[in-house]
Amino acid sequence: MAAVSVTAGRLLRLRAAGAEGYWRRLRGTGLARSFLQPASAGEDAAQTRQVAHFTFQPDPETREYGQTQKMNLFQSITSALDNSLAKDPTAVIFGEDVAFGGVFRCTVGLRDKYGKDRVFNTPLCEQGIVGFGIGIAVTGATAIAEIQFADYIFPAFDQIVNEAAKYRYRSGDLFNCGSLTIRSPWGCVGHGALYHSQSPEAFFAHCPGIKVVIPRSPFQAKGLLLSCIEDKNPCIFFEPKILYRAAVEQVPVEPYNIPLSQAEVIQEGSDVTLVAWGTQVHVIREVAAMAQEKLGVSCEIIDLRTIIPWDVDTVCKSVIKTGRLLISHEAPLTGGFASEISSTVQEECFLNLEAPISRVCGYDTPFPHIFEPFYIPDKWKCYDALRKMINY
Amino acid sequence: MALAISAARVWGPRRQAVPLLLRQLGARGLTRSQLPRWQQQQQFSSLDDKPQFPGASAEFIDKLEFIQPNVISGIPIYRVMDRQGQIINPSEDPHLPQEKVLKFYQSMTLLNTMDRILYESQRQGRISFYMTNYGEEGTHVGSAAALENTDLVFGQYREAAVGAAYAAKRANANRVVICYFGEGAASEGDAHAGFNFAATLECPIIFFCRNNGYAISTPTSEQYRGDGIAARGPGYGIMSIRVDGNDVFAVYNATKEARRRAVAENQPFLIEAMTYRIGHHSTSDDSSAYRSVDEVNYWDKQDHPISRLRHFLLSRGWWDEEQEKAWRKQSRKKVMEAFEQAERKLKPSPSLLFSDVYQEMPPQLRKQQESLARHLQTYGEHYPLDHFDK
Repeated sequence: MAAVSVTAGRLLRLRAAGAEGYWRRLRGTGLARSFLQPASAGEDAAQTRQVAHFTFQPDPETREYGQTQKMNLFQSITSALDNSLAKDPTAVIFGEDVAFGGVFRCTVGLRDKYGKDRVFNTPLCEQGIVGFGIGIAVTGATAIAEIQFADYIFPAFDQIVNEAAKYRYRSGDLFNCGSLTIRSPWGCVGHGALYHSQSPEAFFAHCPGIKVVIPRSPFQAKGLLLSCIEDKNPCIFFEPKILYRAAVEQVPVEPYNIPLSQAEVIQEGSDVTLVAWGTQVHVIREVAAMAQEKLGVSCEIIDLRTIIPWDVDTVCKSVIKTGRLLISHEAPLTGGFASEISSTVQEECFLNLEAPISRVCGYDTPFPHIFEPFYIPDKWKCYDALRKMINY
Repeated sequence: MALAISAARVWGPRRQAVPLLLRQLGARGLTRSQLPRWQQQQQFSSLDDKPQFPGASAEFIDKLEFIQPNVISGIPIYRVMDRQGQIINPSEDPHLPQEKVLKFYQSMTLLNTMDRILYESQRQGRISFYMTNYGEEGTHVGSAAALENTDLVFGQYREAAVGAAYAAKRANANRVVICYFGEGAASEGDAHAGFNFAATLECPIIFFCRNNGYAISTPTSEQYRGDGIAARGPGYGIMSIRVDGNDVFAVYNATKEARRRAVAENQPFLIEAMTYRIGHHSTSDDSSAYRSVDEVNYWDKQDHPISRLRHFLLSRGWWDEEQEKAWRKQSRKKVMEAFEQAERKLKPSPSLLFSDVYQEMPPQLRKQQESLARHLQTYGEHYPLDHFDK
């Protein structure tokens, strides 16, 4: 009997393997699993896969914070979370599917290490996740909430804007939820379509009381996330999902902080200022190289890092020097955060401007599926806008 | 297979499944978790015909039958006193000492007095807005009296209350969180989220719903079609009870027991306190537009939490008309003095408009603060600066 069932089992297992693969491809919201497959999976050899619209450029390794380790973006997030739970006994991590490690592997190993009361799944309910997190933070404990995709943050919008952001203000500082951090995968990923590609930072920029932070790399992500967790105000930390595996850098193993509300000039230049955040920083880096090579134009590149409260001084100081500003983001043009930067810069630096401020952004459409290569503000569109600005 | 059948007879249909499965897996050198899920289910279904769905533990039924929601005779309403303030079932009498019951009565009547004075003051333009508690004094005082001073109280903010309860549980703080909301607020998604999280995450929280018959002008018949709020609790796996909210002892007993068990067992409790909103929703509302004066009068005269407690006190000889007269005068004086003292104070400085948005003030906000200060220097005469601190 055992022999028969073993053979039958083997046959059934083989069928299952095929079935599972098919099932995995079909599953709509199982999109995350497919992110983990390398682009050269070999399944659709006939159809060319879209090559990424950017090349990740790691920053030079820093020795400032001790021993470093090669980490990709999701590993640098895990490292930050690990450091946080180690030094803060009140810290807890929660959200959909975080217990097994998360759909992007950001919380792998943490439940085993810190216990099921500290790393746990919640029901599928974003407003609940954020509201619950607010409550934990109000008692003074550290709450690290995950929203599985930034596209799903909207059910929690009321909790974030009307509750979290106003908690300290409305109670005259008697209460606050400053120890709340919300992390969420963000931005285009090549095939995310309408509901796995959005960059909603502009909606939250309009909300006094919270901070919104977006890193460009693993090293930046760990330092910025640790700062968000320790910041005494509720923070939203958007993680560019396309960089989770693609971005690899040497990242310190020990905790360290990168200050919030400080933009970084990652390359100095004299002719034009380029401002971006997240993935788009790597796009404009390439544009700067193209501009130097083809046009002999020297670009100053700024990674904004914190969306609100944003570092007005660094950007304005740069524009006063260069006289030209180009801002680029994936989110749609109208009402996108570039409009806030543009408006403030023209107020502060009007007489220094040699040309109108240029914004290279997504179109005013929902994030498309098959049209993604045409939608995104790639290096060619940025280069073209820069060229027009130089020739103004 | 024979082994399975004999095991079933010994242990009952379901119990033998697991050890038998493990034994079979042992023969293959596998543990249960190493099998893919479809294959695990394959194993179970070959043993017996019981449902194995992870999502529900129930028996099969072969008759098509919809469950009828029961709103005609819904969840019964727990009460201790009748409408004349007499204890119905002596074993439910909380046997509270006289001073404590007097404190209940004085809290409820002081609240009532404050409501009258503040409502009037809004009519006189001395405050901008007010909401009274007429008819619901029993729910507030009865439940509050059952809590400890270290417990956390949330008025609204259902999901945050659950988070606070979870943190209290982790901190072994011996605290319960209580969250108050009306039957209207129970329709919000927040309530659903709060109930579900509290149950799944095993939080020591009391959800206290004041069902007072109206959400502004919306009667309960337009707010829900089920058996009120208490009936929703079991749907989430929450211990639930419905009480007479106008019976302060019933409210007290239910809250006290819910508190004890919520903390001891780390699970949520739902209390639906039935009551009636005698006053308007707020000073911006005139409820005669949507309900009859007769209906309001019935509750005011025939089933009022303060009257019922007063009858109880009188029947015990713990209160009399002399004390009533003196207390009314004293409580009115107390409220008036506090009000006049508050009225004399200046409002805080307009510069504080910009404080506490964040823990620290960001540079842009400081610029805006300075801009307002400059503006007031030139245009200050057009602003009510006399009522504010400098």
